[in-house]
Parts: sequence; structure tokens; C-alpha cells
Amino acid sequence: MQPAGCGIGLRAPHVTEIVETRPAVAWLEIHAENYMGGGPAARALERARADYPLSIHGVGLSLGSAEGLDVAHLERLARLVERLEPALVSEHLSWSVTGGAYLNHLLPIPYTEEALDVLCAHVARAQERLGRRLLVENPSGYLRFRHSPIPEPEFLNALARRTGCRLLCDVNNVYVTCANLGGDAVAWLDALEPSAVGEIHLAGHTCNDADGHTILIDDHGSPVADPVWPLFERALGRFGTIPTLVEWDTDVPPLAVLLAEAAKAQHRLDTASDVVAA
Amino acid sequence: MSSLRELQAEFRAALLGGDERGAASAVADDGPGASARLAVYRHHVFTSLTAALEATFPVVCRLVDRRFFGWVADQYVRVRPPAGPCLFEYGADFADFIADFPACATLPWLADVARLEWAMNTALYAPEAAALEPDTLGALAPADVARLTLRLDPSTTLLASRWPVDAIWRANQAGADGVVDLDSGGVRLEVRRVGEDVVYRAVPPAVFAFRAALAAGGALEEAVDHALDNDPAFDLAGEIRALLDERLLIA
Repeated sequence: MQPAGCGIGLRAPHVTEIVETRPAVAWLEIHAENYMGGGPAARALERARADYPLSIHGVGLSLGSAEGLDVAHLERLARLVERLEPALVSEHLSWSVTGGAYLNHLLPIPYTEEALDVLCAHVARAQERLGRRLLVENPSGYLRFRHSPIPEPEFLNALARRTGCRLLCDVNNVYVTCANLGGDAVAWLDALEPSAVGEIHLAGHTCNDADGHTILIDDHGSPVADPVWPLFERALGRFGTIPTLVEWDTDVPPLAVLLAEAAKAQHRLDTASDVVAA
Repeated sequence: MSSLRELQAEFRAALLGGDERGAASAVADDGPGASARLAVYRHHVFTSLTAALEATFPVVCRLVDRRFFGWVADQYVRVRPPAGPCLFEYGADFADFIADFPACATLPWLADVARLEWAMNTALYAPEAAALEPDTLGALAPADVARLTLRLDPSTTLLASRWPVDAIWRANQAGADGVVDLDSGGVRLEVRRVGEDVVYRAVPPAVFAFRAALAAGGALEEAVDHALDNDPAFDLAGEIRALLDERLLIA
């Protein structure tokens, strides 16, 4: 079994340094919507992708919008995928668009049969246009709907079963969601269908106060938190050593700091694969 | 129980500062209340969109200070949320919003500074377009040339202002002294991308009128009329040559 590598989220302040120094990371992931125009950003990405496998992570397709997919946006995503030929393409279990307004957040979906039908139809449509399987990521949750009868991992499993999509397990999001909504992160991971999971995300979060209670915010602005690492190890044990990404989007640190975070994840990937090999 | 479509409309109302009762009634009220939980999402929507506007309009932000800018952005996001997920495309009508915003009335040049920054943003992210080679035009008969619609490179904006917005922009770059003579008069600017750089320059009135007409999709004959209105001695052949030399016409 080939040990899988740890990649990093490619952020604008790091692009030049990555192109010039070619650091030893396994792959790069970009946010699709940042590269749908032309100009210097698009050209810099062309240079970076000459040296690294690429993953395209969409944040704007709004797979959970009840009013339907924005087909013009799907078309732009398809053209980007055709141009960049990424190894992986992923999106989110969330919605952002209603009444033609894009709310710039990965907003929560009540896990109902109605929502599952909407998600399945949109994932199927996106996969048909892209001509490939999507990975769908679990979001960070800050609220629970009164009516949301299907547990989140089961909802994801059903989505994967019905559409053939794969799952992107964001381990930090699992931790944040379970802390905010009173769930058990280990049980959450154990409930996810292992054969459907094709990618893992790691990132930092922060602790805020809401109504006198602590609420964790998935802000991607710090190192991966200590309690998330054992969950990552558990995820590797269940899902195998699969492509893993470290994301850092706010208060972006020097590249060396991000690379050191990725090296920590890579070490665990290597150790886990040793265990598998033994 | 509301359907998904109704729930999402209620979320929009709750997040963009309208009525949050509908959304709150769908949310479990344990630990932090529904209102506090919705506020987490609302906070992200406003801070991330304000940051996107600040990235596109840094000089406007510097001119009014970040707190005031944040307030204007907040009001703008409420009434004009993005129509799509590419945030480099958000803010096309921010300048118009500023022009009509009562609290900005004492800063009459601010909207035009925003227009200049939007033109620069447009130039930065415009798609690549192949420039028209001089031979292509030379092969056409003169009668056909008159009916041509010449298209300018999509990175191009022709921007006229009664204020010295280029001087205002320069004076508010890092290290500049911030001093501008607001009475130094208006400008006619051409903003575009050359290679990887966004550049702007002042252009004479007839050339500005000609290129602005082309940029608006006008036919060559109409653009010439506009140019001649400004300068009866407008040299069309020289101007076409200049456009080709500047690689501003696209195929």
C-alpha cells in the first residue's frame, strides 16, 4: 500500500515561495472560486501545478439549496476542472444560496428525507457535468435543527450510497460540531462508512463565548488543536492512509509554520501505514 | 414544519439583519440560545464579506477609516448581498451605493475613488484575451472597416471623474503622504492589465470618447462621431495604429 501524502491549502501569500522553493508537500488544494478569473492569480497557479498534484475544493456550489443548483456556476467549475485536471474535486454538505443571494457561508441543512433528495439530485447533476465523482465534506455545526431526524454521518453515508459520491471527512469539523452540539466525535467517526471516505481535512479552530457558553469556531486560523490529533489517528485507522490536507485560511502564518503542521500529519500517515504494512 | 425552501428564505432574513423569528423557531434552544447560535453564522457572513470589500476597495477604506468603512459595508451587504460565490466579482455597484449613501455626502469624490478601485479589480481578474494582430485589419476593405465593432481587451475600463482620483489613489498608497490638491481638476483615465500589472494612464478627451464608445460595444462609426465631437482633428488611422500597438484590440 502506497502511503498517502499530506497536502496544504494553497493561499495567496505562499504561492511565490512555493513556486520558487518547491517544498516537500504531497499536493496542493485550492478554493475553486478564487481561480475562476484570469490574471496573475491564475498564472501563478499554472506554475504551482506543474510541480504538485492539485485538488479543487469548491465553496460556492451550494449543493443544499432548495431552489436548485446554479448551473452557470457549475459550468464555471467544470471549465476550471477541465483546465486544471485536478486529482480530487470536493464540495460541502451545506447551502449558501437562496433567492439568488450568495450568503458566503457553509450554512447548515436539516438532515431530513427532503434535504437528502435535494442533495442527491444536486450531487448527481454536478457529477454528471464534471464527469467524475465529487467528495462531499461534513460542515462545522453551530446549531441543531429541531427537526433533523437523520444523524449527520448516516446522512453522508446515504448520500454516498445513492450518488456514488465519496466523502471528505474534516476531522476538525467533526470535533467542532460534536463540541457545539453535544455529540461524541469518536462515535461520529465510527459511524461513517469507511469505504466511502477519500480525503481528510485538518485545521485549527478557536473558542468563543455565546450566551455564557463556550462555542468552537472553525476559523482555520491556528495550528490543529491537541484533541483533534487522536481523532485523526482514529480516522486513519478506520479509513486507511488517505490524502490528508492541512488548511490555514485566516491569520495565514509563514509557509514554514504551515509546512510544520503538514509534517505532523505526514508523520502520522507514515506511522499508520507502517502499522498497516506490518 | 417549514420546507427546506422556506427555511432557507427564513435564514436569509435572519442572517441579513431582517427578522430572525422564523429561523430561530426551527433551531433547538439548548446551551447557547437559537439567537446566539444564528449570530455565529451572521457574524461570519458580515465579517467575511466586509473583508472581501476591503480587499477590493483598500483606498476607500483608508480614506474613511476602517470603522466607518465597516459600517458602510454592513449596510451594503444587507441590501446588495453577492449574487454569486466568486468574491472578486462582489462590489460592482459599491461605488453607486456610496454615491447614494447619505453619510458619504460630505465626501463627494469617494464614489469615484471606488470606481477607480473597481476598474483596477476588473483589470486584475479579467480573462486572458488574445490581442488582434495588425494584419487582420489590413486585409479588410475600407467599407467593411467602418462597420466593424472593435472590441477592447476585457481588462479595460475608461473612467472619467470631475475629481483627481488618480492623485487621490496615489496619495493613499503605503508610504505616500496622503496629501492631494482636490481642486486640481478632473481626469479621464484608461485602466487595464498589461502582463501581470494593472496600469492606468490619463488619455486625451477625443481618444477617451473613442475608446469609451468601443468599450460600451459601439460600432466604429459611432465611436468616431464621439471622438470628432471632442476634437474635429481626431486622427482615426493614427488611433487604430495606437490601439494595435498597445495590444488593446482583441480578436
